[in-house]
Amino acid sequence: MTALTVTGLQKAFGATKVITGVDLSVAAGERHAVIGPNGAGKSTLFHLISGRLRPDAGRVALGERDITGLRPHEVFNLGLARSFQVTSLFPQLSVFENLRAAAMRTHGCGLNFWRRLGSYGALRDRAEQLLVQIGLQERRHVPAGRLAYAEQRALEIGVTIAGGARTILLDEPTAGMSRAETERAVSLIRRMSEGRTLVMIEHDLGVVFGLADRISVLAEGRIIASGPPDQVRGDRAVRAAYLGDAAC
Amino acid sequence: MSDLELPLPLARTDGRWLRTAMPWVLAAAVAIVLPHVVPGGFGLSLLCRMGIAIIFALSFNMLLGQGGMLDFGHAVFLGLGGYLAMHAMRQTGWPVPLPLVPLIGGVGGLLTALAVGWVATRRAGTAFAMISLGVAELVVATVHLFPSFSGGEEGISGDRSNGPALLGHDFGPQIEAYYLIAAFAWVCALLMYAYTATPLGRLANAVRDNPERVGFLGYDPAQIRRVVFALSGLFAGVAGGLAALNDEIVTAAGLSPDVSGQVLLMTFIGGIGTFWGPIAGAVLITFLSIALSTVTDAWQLYSGLLFIAMVVWAPGGISGVLLAHVPLGRRLGSLVPSYAAVAPGLLLAIAGTVGLSELAFRLQAVRNGATPRPVLGFAADPGSVWPWLLTAALPVAGAVLLARTWPGARDAWRHASTPPSTPPGAQAGT
Repeated sequence: MTALTVTGLQKAFGATKVITGVDLSVAAGERHAVIGPNGAGKSTLFHLISGRLRPDAGRVALGERDITGLRPHEVFNLGLARSFQVTSLFPQLSVFENLRAAAMRTHGCGLNFWRRLGSYGALRDRAEQLLVQIGLQERRHVPAGRLAYAEQRALEIGVTIAGGARTILLDEPTAGMSRAETERAVSLIRRMSEGRTLVMIEHDLGVVFGLADRISVLAEGRIIASGPPDQVRGDRAVRAAYLGDAAC
Repeated sequence: MSDLELPLPLARTDGRWLRTAMPWVLAAAVAIVLPHVVPGGFGLSLLCRMGIAIIFALSFNMLLGQGGMLDFGHAVFLGLGGYLAMHAMRQTGWPVPLPLVPLIGGVGGLLTALAVGWVATRRAGTAFAMISLGVAELVVATVHLFPSFSGGEEGISGDRSNGPALLGHDFGPQIEAYYLIAAFAWVCALLMYAYTATPLGRLANAVRDNPERVGFLGYDPAQIRRVVFALSGLFAGVAGGLAALNDEIVTAAGLSPDVSGQVLLMTFIGGIGTFWGPIAGAVLITFLSIALSTVTDAWQLYSGLLFIAMVVWAPGGISGVLLAHVPLGRRLGSLVPSYAAVAPGLLLAIAGTVGLSELAFRLQAVRNGATPRPVLGFAADPGSVWPWLLTAALPVAGAVLLARTWPGARDAWRHASTPPSTPPGAQAGT
C-alpha cells in the first residue's frame, strides 16, 4: 500500500519552473530519502506536498485521499507532519510548551478556553515522553529561542513527530550538525520513524545510505532516478547530475 | 514511579495553589480597603477610572503581548460596548439591573470584534495592524453617520440609578459604582488570567511566535486569532459598559484613535511580557492623565516622553525592569550605591526637561492672553531670559553627571546579573 503518491506535479515562480513534473510513490512504512543538487527543488516539493504552496498542476495523495491544494492544517489533520530546513519553533515558549503545543491537536484540544491545559493528562504525558526521546529533559524550562543549534534541531524533530502523524517529512534534519550530533539525530530519526512512513531531504549521503530504504534523486525539477540505495548509487544519470555531464 | 514519590508533587501542587491564589486575595483586599484610604471624591473617581483601565489594558494585552496582534483600533470595542450599555441603561421598557449593564457592553464588544476580526485576523503582523487602523477609522466615521445611536457631538447620557435597586442599592452613590467596577475588574482579570493557562491561551502564544508552524500542527492560525480577538473584544466591551455607567455619558470620542493610542501606551509602559504589567501601566497612566492634568497642561507630553523612554531603554516595560531584578536576590544590595549615584543626574535631567516644557507651555499661554497658573508653586515669567537659561542649565548639568555615573551603574548591573559561579575574573583565569 502506498502512503504518499505524487503525480505530474508542477510549480513555477514567475518564469522560473522549479518543479517540472514530479512523480513519486512512497510505500507505507518505508524510509524514503530525496537527494539532489542545490536548487533542484527539494524543499519546494515538500512545500507542495504539505500545503505551504499550491501546485500549478498535478496531484498529491495521502493514502487514497487527494490532498492537492489543501491548507497546511488540513493536511496535518489527515496524518502528515513535516519539519523545516530552517528551524521553525516557538522561540518564546519553553521546550516543554513547544512539545505540548505540537501534540495538542491530536490529543483533543480544540480552541478551548474553558479548561486548564494542565488537566489534559495524556497530553502532558506525551510531552514528557517526547522530552525524554529527544534528550532535552534538562532543558525543559528553557525558551526554545535560547537553545543551542543542535538542541533546536532535535526539538524541531520532536515537534514534528509530537502529533503522531503516520507520514512524516523531514527537511534536512541533520544540516549544520557535527559528526556526533548527526549520529544522535540519526538514531533518533530511526527510532521515531518505526512503524511510520518517512520522507526526508538529506545532503549527508552517509545518513542517506544508512537510513533510507529507497532513494529518489531530484534534479532540475524532476525525479531522474528512484530505487534502492545500491541501484541509485550506480545510476549514470545521477552521477551526471551531481558531477556534471563531463563525468559521463 | 514508586509510592514514595507521590506525596512530593502533591505538596508542591498545594504550594503552587497558594502562591497563585495569594495575589488575588491581596488584590481583593486592596480593592476593598482603597476607597477608605484614598481621600475625597476625586480619589474615588480616580480609582473607578483605574479599574476600568485595568480591564481595558488587560484585554489589549490578550492581543499584543499574548497573541502578537497590534490592534490600533481597540477603543472601538470599548466605545461600541459603552454605547450598547448606555442604550440598555436608558431604555425604560425592560429595566436592566445595573450589574448586568457591563455584560451588555461585553456583548457589544464581542459582536463588534466578531465583525472586525472577520476581516482583520486573516493577516498577522503589520497587515493586521494596518487593517485594525483602517477598520477603526471606518467605525468612527460610521458612528457619526447615526446620530440617533451615537447622540452626535454631545453623545448620549443616562442615569445609572434608573434601573431596579438591588438589596436597597441603586448604585447612585459613587462608592457603590466603585465597588461594582472593582468587582468586575477583579473577576475579569481573574478570567483573563485563567485564559492564559487554557489550550487557546497557549495556542495564542504559539501564533504570536510562529503562525506558520501552528498551521503545520493542525490549527488554522487565522481561526485562533479570530477567537482570541473576539474574547478580547468582549472584555474591552465590559470596560466600555463600566465606563458608561461610571461617567453616565458616552460620546463618539470614546472610540477615537486617541483612546486606542492610550491603551497601547498603558500596556507597553506596564510591560507586555507579563500578565500583570498592563495592570501597572493602567494604574500609572490613568493616574498621570487624571492627576497630572489637574497640575499641568503638558501632561500628554510627559506620558509621550515616558513612552519613548520605555521603548528605547526598557522595552520590557515596568514589569520587565522589575522582573530583571528579582532573580538577583541578595546581590540587589550591591546595586544600591551605583544606582543612587545615577539618581541626581537623572533627576536634574528630568527636572530640566519638565521645566523647559512648562516654560514653553506658559509662553504659549501668555501669548494667547491667559494668565498662566503657577506650576507646583513656581510662577516664573516665560517672557524673560533668566528662567530659560537657568532651566536649560539643569539638563546640561544632569547630562554631565549622567555621563560620569552611568558606566558605573551599567557595570554594577552586569556584575550583579552574572551568576556568581562564573565571575568575569574567574573566566579570564581558566
